[in-house]
Amino acid sequence: MRTIGTSPPILEARDKVTGRAKYVDDMQADLFVKIVGSRHPHAHIRGIDITAAMQMEGVAAILTHENVPQRLINFGTHRPSLAIDRHVRHLGDYVAAIAATSEAVAEEARRAIRVEYDVRPAVFDPEEALQPAAPKLYPEGNNFCAAVDLPPHQSIPESRQEWGDVEEGFRLADVIVEHRLDIGSQAHAAIEPHVCMACWEGDQLIIWSATHTPTELHANAAEYFDLPLKQVVVLSHHVGGGFGGKYTGRYQYLVCLLARQLPGKRVRLTLSREETQCYARRPRAKLYARLGATRCGVITAIHFSGLFDVGAYGTFFSGNNNFHHEGGILTYKTAHARFEAKNVHTNHFRSECMRSVQMPYLAFAVETVVELAAEKLGMDPTEFRLKNMPTTGDMMPPTEYTHNYGDYPQARLDLFPAAHMLEQVKGKIGWAEKWKGLGQPYHSDGPRRRGIGLAYCMGYGGFIAESGTTAAVRINPDGTAIAYSSVQELGQGINTTLCMLVSEALGLPLDKVSIVAGDTRSGQGDPFNARSSHQLAMCGHILLQAVEKARQKLRNWIASSLRVNPREVVIEGDQYWLERDTSQKFPLWEFVGTLKSPVTGRAEGAPLHVHPFVKPGYKAHQPMIMAAEVEVDTETGEVKPMKIVAGMFPGRMINPGVVRGQAIGGATQTLGMALWEHVGFDEDSLTYLNRDFTDYRVPRALDMPAIETVLVEQVDLESLPHEGLPYGGRASGEMSAWGAVAIANAVHNATGVRVSESPLTAEAVLRALNREARRDAGSEADREAVR
Amino acid sequence: MLVRETATSVSVSINGRQHDFEVEPHETLAEVLRERLGLTGTKIGCNRGDCGACTVLLDGEAILSCLSLAIQCHGKTVITIEGLENPQTGELDPVQQAFVENFGVQCGYCIPGIVLSARALLDEKAQPTEEEIREGIQGNICRCTGYQQIVESIQAASRQPKSANAGGIADTGGASGQSNTDADNTQSKKGAE
Repeated sequence: MRTIGTSPPILEARDKVTGRAKYVDDMQADLFVKIVGSRHPHAHIRGIDITAAMQMEGVAAILTHENVPQRLINFGTHRPSLAIDRHVRHLGDYVAAIAATSEAVAEEARRAIRVEYDVRPAVFDPEEALQPAAPKLYPEGNNFCAAVDLPPHQSIPESRQEWGDVEEGFRLADVIVEHRLDIGSQAHAAIEPHVCMACWEGDQLIIWSATHTPTELHANAAEYFDLPLKQVVVLSHHVGGGFGGKYTGRYQYLVCLLARQLPGKRVRLTLSREETQCYARRPRAKLYARLGATRCGVITAIHFSGLFDVGAYGTFFSGNNNFHHEGGILTYKTAHARFEAKNVHTNHFRSECMRSVQMPYLAFAVETVVELAAEKLGMDPTEFRLKNMPTTGDMMPPTEYTHNYGDYPQARLDLFPAAHMLEQVKGKIGWAEKWKGLGQPYHSDGPRRRGIGLAYCMGYGGFIAESGTTAAVRINPDGTAIAYSSVQELGQGINTTLCMLVSEALGLPLDKVSIVAGDTRSGQGDPFNARSSHQLAMCGHILLQAVEKARQKLRNWIASSLRVNPREVVIEGDQYWLERDTSQKFPLWEFVGTLKSPVTGRAEGAPLHVHPFVKPGYKAHQPMIMAAEVEVDTETGEVKPMKIVAGMFPGRMINPGVVRGQAIGGATQTLGMALWEHVGFDEDSLTYLNRDFTDYRVPRALDMPAIETVLVEQVDLESLPHEGLPYGGRASGEMSAWGAVAIANAVHNATGVRVSESPLTAEAVLRALNREARRDAGSEADREAVR
Repeated sequence: MLVRETATSVSVSINGRQHDFEVEPHETLAEVLRERLGLTGTKIGCNRGDCGACTVLLDGEAILSCLSLAIQCHGKTVITIEGLENPQTGELDPVQQAFVENFGVQCGYCIPGIVLSARALLDEKAQPTEEEIREGIQGNICRCTGYQQIVESIQAASRQPKSANAGGIADTGGASGQSNTDADNTQSKKGAE
């Protein structure tokens, strides 16, 4: 390996540290958009008067529900919707959009628009929203699964997977534990606000958007505007962070619709921070988990059930089990399991997945009952986990995880070094010295208690879907190569990583390889783009297939120049030779130079090919293990994180610097989810309480403890680089963001009290401590009474 | 639409060049930098002083340009991220170079602000402790990195000798009074001014 395993800087780093990188908000625009948002969480617009606003100097166009097309926009992860609907379903829901010559003018026009509402009762809690008498957001009610107007990829009758007989599993158990949790809604809070710019040049629509999913925007915008795909261009070169919050949404269509009225003008909408914070968030969820185990610590059954608030326009993506890539739910070997999730609409702004769809929730619930079971069994919870973890080569249960795409045969795990990782993580957190038993602090100092905790989960390795993914490579006679891909760079270093794959495969120095991405004109597409941590595994795998096709052409050219059969020519890295004579090897790039013309290769995933094998009968999965040490002030409830150890299985690190950055960054977000971050809402004043970074607390530099990483490398040599995982590399973008429950478990061990909600703010921890103290006092009084 | 009667003349040295502007009292330094001069390396993440993405150096001190009025900058020296490189050699400031090499950058939106906060910190104290580094960037939010590789970048930069140019620009002629009047050059991204 020449390139792989080294840590060159990400390709965009220099442009980003010098301010040269142009994000969409940095580009020249002609007209600026402001949105009029609904003042009520649920209403019908009775009337809207834009006369005064339209007459203002500098106002170029105004959209309302009266003049947008009466057709639904299709999205990947947003419920199909009108660009502006007369029926508004959350605070800030779109009522009008104004394009003007400056933001100040647009702002003035916004104030001049008069709206009359027929206010309707609203519902904000997912449990209440399911009650028959609850206000309805849609004609069929608030249960997303019952929605009738969904495109095929979102249409799933019920989100449920099960195998064995879960009730039988519980009958076999000696110990049964259960727990309920209320998980708060973290905001994605990328530092770049949501932004989109559009321009109609003749019959061509050009969209500049900071998005995860340019391919999806390209396809759906073409459909909405009845344009052939060739007339729509989506450009998304630099995106200032996403984390799941920047998939396509209606705001992009408002910009395109306004721009259509103003041909040749570049029309841009940049959401304010407050609008961005209330655009999307991780769904709030109410979870239930139940786990049964035998006396000797073998899990007999797991039942998980989740109720997910997907807001007014969120979709199955928010809390779905079926799309769950067979991760998470396979974390433990058990013959009987049931995982079910329900997505419910409420009058909140929509939810969107955040650094994994449901895994952080699943982990939170399951890793809580795992600890409860270990406690009942009197076992070290890490020993209990070890006993029930799968390992390399284990047969996976017969789930119907892809039933929305068709049946799939049972498969085995290719590599699964969870036990090894557990040992490493325990070593780094100091388990041997600091583990004093469940609910036992290892150190007390006045009101302060210190404890450690751990959590484990399984993910899907990024090898999830290749359907629709294309890539190409161009090998140039001047000794350079260009990769063409539809991966979306968000800062995670995927452009660099793909260039490193090409560099390795062709034996070229990295600085001789470039990539064209973030531009639908490259001819490449990927329905997932920056989603599901699949870019390295799937786009990398397809790109290596493209390299192989180009190499096959080179083989033919070499064969014809040597007058041999192409099958006799071997190319490896930057050398070629004849199979029969390995003593003489020739420099490949000298030969390429003689061709005087480029050689290209192109590859695409097989249609409808999801969850493919990495080698026949085997699938790629990954363990994630996180350990945390915390100090809890039992007088104030404040939790201070002292140390985090993030364990991931990147298979082979293509760029260790990038992988480590993902591990630490994900761990930081999970720490925010665990301790501080939640979009607060006051039902009395109908106000979101923390719409800015003054009140919404994202982790800052001084909040952070040391984060250590355990990055396990292991490669299956039977899996060929261009057929299976690229050189053994697996996903690393999301896994460390699933460990919030490790921090909750550490809080439990420090205090002896389990906090059944997240985030574990000082208030929440104090409430739980006080509840426990009252319970203790109560039982003390009972004992007194008996005496 | 916008009141122009109250416009005030200000003269500011920005990245070593003298600029004379007519500014409205409400105009922020960030707006002037981004919209009049096209210095879009200064980012707006929140426009209310919470995130630090708009940090620039004002007379060597890291300040929030979204909360600073342009008229307050009269007679002062501003360095933005675009002014940190050596204009003659194109050499990066050691802080910028360290961010490139140590994976201090992911999405990059917060980075100009953090680099400038770090520059100001190192100018004040060449060898800060880790705690001091974290304090120095406490006003800057990074959502991607978890700060660790940023702290490592700043530590790496603190081990490098400061380049002749870094953070200064004093040798590019700006401070010696060479003036470039931008009063007429008010072509704005928000064309309606």
